[in-house]
Amino acid sequence: MRHNLVLSAGAITVGLLVLIAVLAPLLAPFPGDAGVATHPFSVLQAPSWLHPFGTDQVGRDIVSRVVYGARISPLIAVAVLLIATLVGVPLGLLAGYFGGIVDDVIMRVTDIFLAVPALLLALALSSVLSPTIGSTIAAISVTWWPWYARLVRGEAASIRGRRYIESCQALGIPRWRILWRHVLPNATTPVLVQMSLDFGTVILTASALSFLGLGVQDPSPDWGLMVSEGQAYFLTNWWLVTFPGLAILITALAFNILGDGLRDRLDPRHRMFQ
Amino acid sequence: MKLSIQHLTLRLENRVIVDDLSLDVDHREIVGLVGESGSGKSMTATSVLGLAPRLGFAVGGSITLDGTELVGASEHELREIRGRRIAMIFQSPSGAFNPVMRVGEVFERTLRLHGVAGDEVAARAARSCEEVLLPALVLRRYPHQLSGGQLQRVAIALALALDAEVLLADEPTSALDVTVQAEILSLLTTLRGRGMAILLITHDLGVVAQVADRVAVMRAGQLVEVGPTRQVLDHPRDPYTQTLLAAVPRLSAGTGGHDA
Repeated sequence: MRHNLVLSAGAITVGLLVLIAVLAPLLAPFPGDAGVATHPFSVLQAPSWLHPFGTDQVGRDIVSRVVYGARISPLIAVAVLLIATLVGVPLGLLAGYFGGIVDDVIMRVTDIFLAVPALLLALALSSVLSPTIGSTIAAISVTWWPWYARLVRGEAASIRGRRYIESCQALGIPRWRILWRHVLPNATTPVLVQMSLDFGTVILTASALSFLGLGVQDPSPDWGLMVSEGQAYFLTNWWLVTFPGLAILITALAFNILGDGLRDRLDPRHRMFQ
Repeated sequence: MKLSIQHLTLRLENRVIVDDLSLDVDHREIVGLVGESGSGKSMTATSVLGLAPRLGFAVGGSITLDGTELVGASEHELREIRGRRIAMIFQSPSGAFNPVMRVGEVFERTLRLHGVAGDEVAARAARSCEEVLLPALVLRRYPHQLSGGQLQRVAIALALALDAEVLLADEPTSALDVTVQAEILSLLTTLRGRGMAILLITHDLGVVAQVADRVAVMRAGQLVEVGPTRQVLDHPRDPYTQTLLAAVPRLSAGTGGHDA
């Protein structure tokens, strides 16, 4: 019961987030403020009935921007984590399960990626690419997948030595099927945990890129970008940073809880007796 | 002869693990293969299924099943034989099952893989569970919900469901307590009654004395003595067998009886 409660809390929050993203034009009081609008006479206003989260340095309504931000920051995080998993997990599985030369080749390539500081690599890439959401996702994904390859490789290598893999072989099950049906399902737990932990980190990395002028750029209401732009005003106008920051926090937390709940759900040892 | 091992030699790099071993197992027969840890017993069994590690490993000699050569057979040919014709059960049953797969799914997938189709899958799974005296309920359980003895029965039921002709039992009772051990051993004799050829690998001479028809004693990769169980246990010719027998602890020391 407790696990289901945790899982539903996470799922509901993530569901709400998706809803906010979809219904942004209806929910945002000033949809235009999510874009290039400027209101010189209402800059840096404290939270009020009209602007519950206040206004930013060019007078845009922060509620509207945070609502529209639900379309950008979580999207970047989900996309990056999906790409990282889709690339990293299969490579890690192959390396860990087959070992030998396959392992050597895959892991040395992974090491090369890991040897270059992640932010530097992302910076180099995004300076070549145009500053759009797509290239931000691409740049971060390139630095993200090796961690997943590494994680899964270790799991697969340890699972390979377990008795049940040997008994699968003794039952005449082909190697690819063993890999797919027996090694992969037993290696998913740490991947889920890692993904749920990485969610917030990806959003912050994306904002770091934006801050350096290489990620998503100003008119778009990216939460990370709003936090980094608002930093300059933090001591006098706290609301610029606080509300988008809270949005990141709640989103990251929701995915964390969701990942936690899913992990318990997927692991039969955590389930109740029937 | 059902399963015939002739002049089997296993080498890992330069070390000889099994040296010129010849052993037959006929149908309707349990052959006990005994020896201390590291004597090459398990490696002999794994090489029958062609499951020895590839790298740096060399297999010499011949292993035949009904006259079909298994040494050097292709992976495809071996897959047809593994499970379906030669089944294997392991020492620690709890580790021998994928923890995230229900027992029933293991049956279903394995039977389908070996060409059993349709309603026959569920029927065979249920029938073989019955034969090993397990309630059909276990099919809905996860491995961690079953005891070691139950899981070992499941492993044996799987061999039955596939109608295996040869069973390689690698220390099948070593991880179980004595009462469960006796149940599994009696199950093995039932299988023998059905015509199965069983190679029972163990370090426990008590187990061998209870069920084996013949016994083969291994030491450091070599076979030192083979013969009918009673003869080998009562009148061991090889000094190593004598040492092994002398090492068996007895409850009533001094009364002279073998523990069996």
